[in-house]
Amino acid sequence: MATPSEASSQITSLNEIPPPAGWMHSRELWRAFFREDRFFLVLSVFIGVFSGLAVVCFRYAIDWSRLYLLGTGVVLTPARLLLAPSLAGLVIAVLVIHFFPRARGSGVNQTKAALYIYNGYIPFRTAVGKFITAALAIGSGHSLGPEDPSLQIGACLASALGRRMRLSRERMRLIAPVGAAAGLAAAFNAPISAVLFVIEEVIGRWTAGILGSVVLSAVSAVVIMRWFLGSEPLFRIPAVELRRPSELIAYAILGVVGGLASVVFAGGIATLRPRCKALPRWTQYFQPAIAGLLIGIIAMLGAPQVMGAGYEYIDQAMHGQFTWEFLAILAGLKILATLLSFVSGTPGGMFAPTLFIGAMLGAAVGGAEHYLLPHLTISPGTYALVGMGVLFAGFLRVPMTSVFMVLEVSGNYSIIVPVIIANTFAYVISRGLQPLAIFDLLTRQDGLDLPSMEEQREEDILHVEDAMQPVQGLALDASLSLDQALRTLDRSEIEHLLVRMRPDAWGVVTKEQLQQAAAAGNASANVASLLSEQTVPYLHPDLPLEVALRYVDRWPLIPVVSRANLGQLEGVISQADVLRRYREFGEG
Amino acid sequence: MLALLAALAVACFLLVTGLSHAYEQQRESLGVRWFSRGVTDLNASRYDAAVTDFRAALLYSRENYVYQLDLAEALIGMKHLGEASAYLLNLWDRQPEDGLVNLELARIAAQQAKNDQAIRYYHDAVNAVWPRDQEFRRRTARVELIELLLRLDQTVDAQSELIALEANAGDNPELQIQIGDFFARAGDFDHALAAYTAALKSDKRNEAALAGAGDAAFELQRYFLAQHYLQAATALNPKDAQTAERLKTTELVLQMDPYRRQISAAERNRLVMAAFATVGQRLQACTPFASTAAAPTTANLDLSKEWTALKPRITERYLLRDPDLVDSAMNLVFRIERFTSGACGSPSGPDLALLLISKLHEGNS
Repeated sequence: MATPSEASSQITSLNEIPPPAGWMHSRELWRAFFREDRFFLVLSVFIGVFSGLAVVCFRYAIDWSRLYLLGTGVVLTPARLLLAPSLAGLVIAVLVIHFFPRARGSGVNQTKAALYIYNGYIPFRTAVGKFITAALAIGSGHSLGPEDPSLQIGACLASALGRRMRLSRERMRLIAPVGAAAGLAAAFNAPISAVLFVIEEVIGRWTAGILGSVVLSAVSAVVIMRWFLGSEPLFRIPAVELRRPSELIAYAILGVVGGLASVVFAGGIATLRPRCKALPRWTQYFQPAIAGLLIGIIAMLGAPQVMGAGYEYIDQAMHGQFTWEFLAILAGLKILATLLSFVSGTPGGMFAPTLFIGAMLGAAVGGAEHYLLPHLTISPGTYALVGMGVLFAGFLRVPMTSVFMVLEVSGNYSIIVPVIIANTFAYVISRGLQPLAIFDLLTRQDGLDLPSMEEQREEDILHVEDAMQPVQGLALDASLSLDQALRTLDRSEIEHLLVRMRPDAWGVVTKEQLQQAAAAGNASANVASLLSEQTVPYLHPDLPLEVALRYVDRWPLIPVVSRANLGQLEGVISQADVLRRYREFGEG
Repeated sequence: MLALLAALAVACFLLVTGLSHAYEQQRESLGVRWFSRGVTDLNASRYDAAVTDFRAALLYSRENYVYQLDLAEALIGMKHLGEASAYLLNLWDRQPEDGLVNLELARIAAQQAKNDQAIRYYHDAVNAVWPRDQEFRRRTARVELIELLLRLDQTVDAQSELIALEANAGDNPELQIQIGDFFARAGDFDHALAAYTAALKSDKRNEAALAGAGDAAFELQRYFLAQHYLQAATALNPKDAQTAERLKTTELVLQMDPYRRQISAAERNRLVMAAFATVGQRLQACTPFASTAAAPTTANLDLSKEWTALKPRITERYLLRDPDLVDSAMNLVFRIERFTSGACGSPSGPDLALLLISKLHEGNS
């Protein structure tokens, strides 16, 4: 974090023209107010505004490309179904290979790379490339969504603004996630979910400094988006109800099915993406086109719903327009179509397809359960909503976002229990069968080694209590005579002793100090006479072990005391204890 | 720098606003184009095509009230009630006072046997705001509500709605006849007769009103009046078998009633003897030995014994000598008709007439 003096020097550089003398006082106030952390908050609002505007334009671009490539109606002609995605695929391949190579791949991972590797740097060209290629891809019917590109466009804009504002390296690292939250919030029309996603999957930790900026940017982006596109949700939310607690079993079944579907989906990407990438370079010109052609064939054979983001079909599934058998087929075909689009390197996101698959699967499971158990008061809409969360939890592996996303989209908190149950089942099954989360998988396939947020969340943390040793003769009272203290030390190989100076204050003496003082003829003096005024800091058993590292090189022994009673010594810890514990932990 | 940033934001905002106008205009024109096609298809009852058209229109104007309403109408035409209901509920949330939305929701709820919901929506439709033909549309909603209430046997509620409907019926004979029919179905024949009579004031030769008035008068046991209306109805439409049959029964009641005024003692005795003979045959046909359906009962045997015991005395001479014998004989006749109508099914012809006469004089006996 930049110190106040560093920050003020940067602000000075931004305001090089000296103001008139009479303004001196207000300029000082201005500087004091606009320390870099506060300036960062203001900048977050601008990031949100620009990201919101960019996402609005991106939505227009998708719609326009859809209109001109696929036509204006809901029933599409076979020629358009086949030609639009394949020809668009060819153009996209040329653009991606020759002009915008960073436009392919996951926006989430590129934002994480900016945070952890490139000090917040994302080339602006990436945003332009992503904008054009993703709009073409989604508009032409490739089975991809606009959320991940929006997230990346937001991150790119934020990065460009941060560079322009000459932010410190610390702030620059954080600026990409701030823009990502804005882009995702505007695309989803769901600020809470966007903030949670960025915290959960990109940043990986809750800190007050970044949370404020992320929230501000997300909210301002959503305000802009709603200004232009209206505040309607992505789909009409049906009446949600849970009449009997026994229905929770049905939702648990949905969680199991969703977990298995997530494994299939992620497994498909894990298997096919490296193989497609390994094909000769010239094939990359045709991979998106072939994927587009195959998706067109799927559409022509009776499932045009798999094309594009498919929000309108989620809406229809929620309102019981499809039979459960057809819904199950749609879920399967969407997995296939999204796999084709994604592994071929076509730019676009997987959020919308995940929601689509989840909604179809949820409504299908709900319909099948209603068919088998007609007494259950199952509404397909509720199942579709829960299903969306299930796939989010199982495939994207963002358990907290998955719950809040459903709540935010539905605006109905009575659904929370089914969502938590179903999502937990899906997450546990997916984690059990597919150890690597999708974003980590993509990172490794791209040859990067970014921190895995899932692993971080579940990492074991060592505490002081794991390394401390029992007191057993290592502590004595300051009122003891040197003679008595030496007798204690003579019976052991201990070199240091903790000395209680006051009930909650400790000092340290060495064996050598005691021996020297005794040799000088002060054997009857008490131990306190050897201690300086400086006391040894104390630790508590529950503190992370890394806290102990700050002190153990300065003090040979650190007291570990109870939080309930600072005078009660629970154990002692030394540098050797800490290193030993870390070594044991590293050895597994 | 911040000022520059703000200026840039404003410039971008204005640019996107311009873009947004162009975008919205294009979408609006596309929406209107698809909506027009949808209306044409809907008017031609091509519901499938209409649904596709309206869906396309809604792609460009997702929250358009009229598009959604027409899509719901087309979905109802396709019997996709669940989805139609979802659209209508969405519209209801936006305008709960919309009459058409309430009416369509009521119809869907009624079809799905959600009767409480249906009644609530019908009530809302009756009290709702209608953009055109408000009175007519409210009346239509009320008529459907009454139909539902009658189907659910909620006759008291139906009658109160009918009274409200009657108050606003004006001089419309068709509506008066419909009101009369509803009152008749609710068992309120006084109001039914009044409604039919009101219809006849506007159109004296209205066959349905005459038949309805005849039926209502018949149910009210006002047989002379019934005869009057039924005769007029039959004269206008001799092919109406039901009215003709009802007229025949009415005439039999009038002819066979020995208690009617202004007849001689001899005529009365003759009618008593005829009635006695008729119920004898009915009883015989209804005995356990003759009927395959009925099991022998004590009541049946008692009535047979009673009838057999009294038969020798039902002669003109005895009847003239003992005026109380008329009442005894007719009392037995009525009891036999009531018993046999329960045990052996609804009577017809003279037996039905005698049963009706028994009901007519129920209080006296």
